[in-house]
Amino acid sequence: MSKRLITILGILTLLAYAWPAWTRFSTTPMTSASFSPLPRSELSTNHTPFMDQDFITPGTGSGIVHVGSICEMPDGELGAVWYGGTREGAKDVAIFFSKKPQDFSASWSPPRIIVDRASATRELNRYIRKVGNPILFRGPGKQLQMIYVTITVGGWSGSSLNVKTSRDSGLTWTDSRRLTLSPFFNISELVKGHPLSVNITGENENRHHFAVPIYHEFLGYFPEILWIAFSRENQELIYEKSRMAGGSSFIQPSIVPLNTRSATAFYRCRSKAGHIAMARTDDGGQNWSSPHFLDLPNPDSAVDALPLTKGRILLAFNDSRNNRETLQMAVSNDRGLNWIRIYTLENSPDQEFSYPYMIRGQNGLIHLVYTWKRKRIKHVVFNEAWVDHKIEQATKR
Amino acid sequence: MTAAFSYVFPFLLMMALCQRVMISWGKRATGWIPTIILASASALMVILPIAGLPVGRWLVSLYPNPSIPLTALLFSWVLKNAFQLNLLDMRAIQTCRGFSLLAGVVLYPMALGVSGFDPYGAGWHFSWLFIILFSITLLLLFLKNRFSVVLLATILAFNLHLLESSNLWDYLVDPILVLVTIAGLTVQIVKFTFQTMSDTFGKNR
Repeated sequence: MSKRLITILGILTLLAYAWPAWTRFSTTPMTSASFSPLPRSELSTNHTPFMDQDFITPGTGSGIVHVGSICEMPDGELGAVWYGGTREGAKDVAIFFSKKPQDFSASWSPPRIIVDRASATRELNRYIRKVGNPILFRGPGKQLQMIYVTITVGGWSGSSLNVKTSRDSGLTWTDSRRLTLSPFFNISELVKGHPLSVNITGENENRHHFAVPIYHEFLGYFPEILWIAFSRENQELIYEKSRMAGGSSFIQPSIVPLNTRSATAFYRCRSKAGHIAMARTDDGGQNWSSPHFLDLPNPDSAVDALPLTKGRILLAFNDSRNNRETLQMAVSNDRGLNWIRIYTLENSPDQEFSYPYMIRGQNGLIHLVYTWKRKRIKHVVFNEAWVDHKIEQATKR
Repeated sequence: MTAAFSYVFPFLLMMALCQRVMISWGKRATGWIPTIILASASALMVILPIAGLPVGRWLVSLYPNPSIPLTALLFSWVLKNAFQLNLLDMRAIQTCRGFSLLAGVVLYPMALGVSGFDPYGAGWHFSWLFIILFSITLLLLFLKNRFSVVLLATILAFNLHLLESSNLWDYLVDPILVLVTIAGLTVQIVKFTFQTMSDTFGKNR
């Protein structure tokens, strides 16, 4: 190499690194986020206790349904997604969508397939063997976002994440887009928990940011956060991820914001300890404390938590160390340290009730969906007055 | 651009395989005409649909982000067979091996959960990874090592978003590159050991 060529290449190197350096220093990193405001107390006052329940899915015959997710859509209706097929991980598994008006007498629309292995193969332009674990949430403007899992080779540890967007409340969907989140063949990234809307100071206002709880399962099993930004105007997608904990014991985080910078996460426990674990952040999710076990059991099954007013936390979980036969709700008044069991949603021997997923609607109502005997996705709706009433009953006992 | 670039690695791989087959049949793979024929055949094979998916995309299904150094090694190999041109000399290849091994050892165990620290996070934005890489590129350039050009191509590819990934680590290293490096080093060690042994026994005799 001549001296002149080296000089030219040196200048080119300098310029090539100047671009990422400039973008870094001229924008705020996504991980320096603040959580969106917590629910206001007036949402739940002046209401009488209310609770209702229905099934989102019709009976499946010999097939299964699993991993339901619900969201309030831009048009005010409720939308839900889940996966279903002949069995978990089967080639005929598809992701279904259903919606209904927020009218208690209305019923859910007939389930419609929004993506299966054939359409995912076509949209992602690569071989997809199976699909699974979808979550649904409201994006910026009239957008509805869905993140879901695809597998090319192997079981769940061969999973990758993908995004699909709808701008007409679930009627039509854009093609899937692949997220690259792991350096090892981009596998072993999964999603379960509900996303949190986050604010990035000084960021482009046309972008809407979310912290999506995800997890890794391959050699290690650990919780992570996918920081993702959607553009209001176009298909632009910016994302990165950060780790919540290492090791091989904790997956499927559920994050509850306590204030704009602090949050508590609850983890599904894979170890023999058999208890739900909890961790805390005080810097907007950048760093998390080491997980510690709660006094609540966990049979290696998903949990979900939601912030209530007055700093309380609502938790839905399987109340056993061995099985998923009981689905319970509990409330904590001290940011997750102590819990009061308030209501048993399900309790049937040899049956499975699992994968709770909760959201709070604009009107303050709390919607909970979960897998019911792997046959149907059940929807329970209640208000905070009902939760208060149940706490009162539980403390009297 | 990302979609078009995803065919480059499968094309080079197919081309290298074709050249290998030609050489094993005792045919000449060097020169413009054999290269044009092989390149055309490779391009056709890569876009040939099997079960509705081009062959190139089948490879992408399993191996979505081939790193730029691996693509450069393959390109260099194809070019050498086609025109006897040495794009990457032995010194550059050895540097690439050492670099890939080091990067692989730092990245994969920790990214897969061996420790609580995830170095993969440094690849999303300008960070210590970029500073280290910038310094290594300039140092290698100063030492007239051709691997510096590969590193320059890597950051350019990252800026142009040529791979599906938006993380610099995926442009820099990939599991196959690390495996190829380990295999290459193992062969070298075995060769060296046999050479040393035969020299020693030869002297004793």
